[in-house]
Amino acid sequence: MLRTNLFLILLFLSSVICLNNTNEEFEENLTIKSLRDGRVTSSFSFKTLFRDAVPRDPRTLAFDDDESQHYTLFPLSLGQILRQYAITELHLTLNAGKWDYDAWGYPEESDVGVGAELRAWIAGNSTISIDERWEGVRNALAGLFCASLGSLDEQRTTSPHRSFPPEGGLPDWDLPHELRHASHASEHVCTENLTPFLKLLPCKSLSGLAMLLNPHRIFDADWHGIGLHVLWRPEGVEVRLNVQLVSDPLRISAQGKQDWSFHSLFDRKVERACSVAKSSRVCVELPSSGVYRVFPEPQEIRGRNAFYDLKDGSEAWDIGTMWPTDFEYPLSQPNPPLVPFSVRRNLLGATQDRGQLSIVVTNNQQDTLQLLYLETMPWIVQLYLHTIRVHSDDVPRGDLISNISYVLPVPHARPSTFECVLTLPPRSTLTVSMDVAKAFLRYTEHPPDAQRGWDLPPAIFTPLLPSSNGSTAVGSRVYTPSLLVDLATPDFSMPYNVIIFTCSVVAFIFGSVFNVLTRKFVIVRLNSPQNQPKDSREEPVDSKKSTS
Amino acid sequence: METESRFRDPSSLFFQSDSIRRYIIASYWVLITLALPLWWTTTSIERLPLPTTEVFAQAQKKLVIPLEICVESAFSDQITSVQRAIHDSASYLNVQLHVSQDCSKYFSGYSIIFGEEISIEDRKLYHPPAGNLADTLTSLLAPKKDHRAAQYSPRYRLSFTLLNEDGSAGQVAESWDIQQAIARHMYPITSALSILHNFTIESQVQYHAPLAFEPQSLSNGTTFGLTPEDLTVFINSAEWTLSSSSSNDPVLHFVLFIPSARHRPLAILNSDGTPSSSSAFLIPQWGGIVILDLPPPPPSTLHLELPDLQTPFLSFSRQLLALLGFPRLPSSIASTSPRASLSPWQVDSLLRQRTHENILRSHDTLRSTVTLASQIDGMPVDAQVQSQVKGSLGALHDLFAYDSKNMTLNEMLAHSARALTLSSKAFFHPGMLAMLYFPAEHKYAVYTPLFASAMIPLLVAALREIASWRKQRREARDADAVQKIDTPKLETDTTRNESVEVNANPQ
Repeated sequence: MLRTNLFLILLFLSSVICLNNTNEEFEENLTIKSLRDGRVTSSFSFKTLFRDAVPRDPRTLAFDDDESQHYTLFPLSLGQILRQYAITELHLTLNAGKWDYDAWGYPEESDVGVGAELRAWIAGNSTISIDERWEGVRNALAGLFCASLGSLDEQRTTSPHRSFPPEGGLPDWDLPHELRHASHASEHVCTENLTPFLKLLPCKSLSGLAMLLNPHRIFDADWHGIGLHVLWRPEGVEVRLNVQLVSDPLRISAQGKQDWSFHSLFDRKVERACSVAKSSRVCVELPSSGVYRVFPEPQEIRGRNAFYDLKDGSEAWDIGTMWPTDFEYPLSQPNPPLVPFSVRRNLLGATQDRGQLSIVVTNNQQDTLQLLYLETMPWIVQLYLHTIRVHSDDVPRGDLISNISYVLPVPHARPSTFECVLTLPPRSTLTVSMDVAKAFLRYTEHPPDAQRGWDLPPAIFTPLLPSSNGSTAVGSRVYTPSLLVDLATPDFSMPYNVIIFTCSVVAFIFGSVFNVLTRKFVIVRLNSPQNQPKDSREEPVDSKKSTS
Repeated sequence: METESRFRDPSSLFFQSDSIRRYIIASYWVLITLALPLWWTTTSIERLPLPTTEVFAQAQKKLVIPLEICVESAFSDQITSVQRAIHDSASYLNVQLHVSQDCSKYFSGYSIIFGEEISIEDRKLYHPPAGNLADTLTSLLAPKKDHRAAQYSPRYRLSFTLLNEDGSAGQVAESWDIQQAIARHMYPITSALSILHNFTIESQVQYHAPLAFEPQSLSNGTTFGLTPEDLTVFINSAEWTLSSSSSNDPVLHFVLFIPSARHRPLAILNSDGTPSSSSAFLIPQWGGIVILDLPPPPPSTLHLELPDLQTPFLSFSRQLLALLGFPRLPSSIASTSPRASLSPWQVDSLLRQRTHENILRSHDTLRSTVTLASQIDGMPVDAQVQSQVKGSLGALHDLFAYDSKNMTLNEMLAHSARALTLSSKAFFHPGMLAMLYFPAEHKYAVYTPLFASAMIPLLVAALREIASWRKQRREARDADAVQKIDTPKLETDTTRNESVEVNANPQ
């Protein structure tokens, strides 16, 4: 008893001298913005920084013994995967819906391609090859997030490093770093992906901003997506988990008002702050015009943004904005446009063997715009590069497409990667079209719902910004919606019919040939030789029947 | 005979000769006979032979580990009772006791030396001649198997987790001096046992780890208690992410649980409902849990320093030893070794025990593998499985020949571990699954429409040809005896006419 008392006193003393010697920090952030069309976009970002940590050097994979791993805020299960496969940088996004750049502008997190997208920067020169580790990390993440990332196999993996430069730094190991990228447009994000996602947060969904992540409301939103980003900066390894959604208050509002609050958007409030978060901020982007009221009173207003620090105060937070009048839908296009360029991509053609890919890019600016256009097509759709036609405002302009690089597809094995630079004259519309051939698949290659068609991954446009030293830096990526391609599908009940039919034909032919080969011809006399008539009609008939 | 001249006798046509027809029929059969093995090999599943007889022979064998002990002459009257006692409790030990005048010179092995009280030092046992030497030696050399111990694995992951039941209400332990605590309390154990296992260590902190049940409030209203039934459901695997499954190594969990302010202080109850003095409990083969109650000062975050972790980590180290099957030193024995809990007596007896267990388990696994392969016909056995089974057998063969190879205990354990790993790899090989998608019934359902309709004419033709050939021979014999030819010829004609119907059917 005395010992426990002593221990408690000791513990008390140590708790008074509250030391913060941890080298991990956690910050959470929420940005809420009202959109022109009355929708509200919320972007959660949970950032954990592991100070002074470096990604694992892949050369140490050769040793069986790994050093011990100690984490406090950094998720252990993710740390294990990153270490086991020595991944330098990793980005995983699972989104659903089509991000409408023209109406909503650029998203807070730029990776908004529909379906699952995974990319990693991996250093080579190890006993375990990059592709083996890429496969391993795919399967490990599939297990961690309950998503079918295992299908991001070599048939979907490309390496378009110009469009996806590393977001953080690459350690200086004198090793070649390679990019692996794969996307799967028909993967759907759902509750089973969000639950493991929330478990990676230090406060789970039990306190802090993550309390708002109510699956019923997230997956009800018009657009929703979750993302995981791991990158290395010189100060340490950073893990950023983010959830983005575009909800429509008008849909649930009875009065047709665009009012929103935490309670109306998420059906929850922030009741407790996450005690281990270094900062827990909410930023509300204020509407540019009109009469409105933001509640509660913001602690700080900077520019057009109102800031709240949820670590202040102990009452439940329910931040929101109210308008006195009903929402009027804007009938005109936004002026000036929200994005410098807008893109449409279509697959034309009615037949199941051929088609035409058409891209229409409109430059909304007064300046010439250069875009990096990336197309990663599964091998089932083959591009015919010689049929590329470029028109600028209906005038053929072959000179506006340059720097074409193309990695040929390998049927049943590798997708094609098509990358080029498009130059858009000021206020013009550029049309690029090329013919495609659709593959005839093997019987077993069809997915279970073959009649639905195949989802093609989104194309990616990256503006190239001219920088001072003549080279070009890369701007924010724009994802097009995915395409659906209709391939020739067989009648799946047919194989047995074919087998049975073929067997009958083969048996019939075999029987006939065999009969002809082994048949014995004899002369059968119908009449006895005594009353043999002179009439030739009564001559013996040549019987052909014989043994079989 | 005018007609005869207009119609050539069909039997005079070259392709109507009996011999050609027979050649044709025979060539069909030859082709079929040649094709059969080809068909068999292309449609059969790869089933390489497993060394079944060797496996069963090996599984009958029992390893007896020799153990030489030098006994001072003062104990010579107890030798037989000692030998019998050890053999009864551990039949895998073959104890040989040598009586010597002065065993303290006998360095390499165990020695029992006359002493005032029972104590051990290195591999020496000091024992008073009056005491029960048989019991002491049995508890040292063949301790009872601890069923809380995890199954043997060459590598374990030790996962340390600091769990705050509710990090948002009241105090939260934000971080801990885990590395120093592990260095002080765990490394002595892991390094001493490094001949048995490799260890990977990981740690994490969680701030929200709710319990799946409500701890019951004790009569005084301020204390909460965990009944023995609560302890069985204490782990809330749905909410606590204790360890990911990024590798196949078994994980031993060590959880430091900090109850929330609502449930403080939390005590473990004895079965009669009184609070137990211990705050730690062990879940067999899974890990250990220590409950750490924080004193109730105002809410704040705190950092657990090394002195705070002293008591929990002493519990963890005891739990680790128990989970690894490390035998406890009987309380009657005093140890003069610097590390009291890890004497060579215990390490050696654990080595022997683990070797023995590994052999039993690899015997079982090998036997199950070959039985399974022989019972299920549709199960492929590929070269990898075969080589793993052979490798496991080879390791066991080497192990049983320890005498000629002068193996140490460590090497014996290494061999047994290799045998075990290979045998379980073979057993759990993903290829060791019966072929579900192309069963034999399917195969025949596809083949019958083709083969049956082709085989019937072939068979009938062959039979008829054989019959007619035999008849011809008989007639030829008869013709030699009686010079008559006409009647048999007519007979053959009628038989041929009959065959028309047979033949017409399939077409």
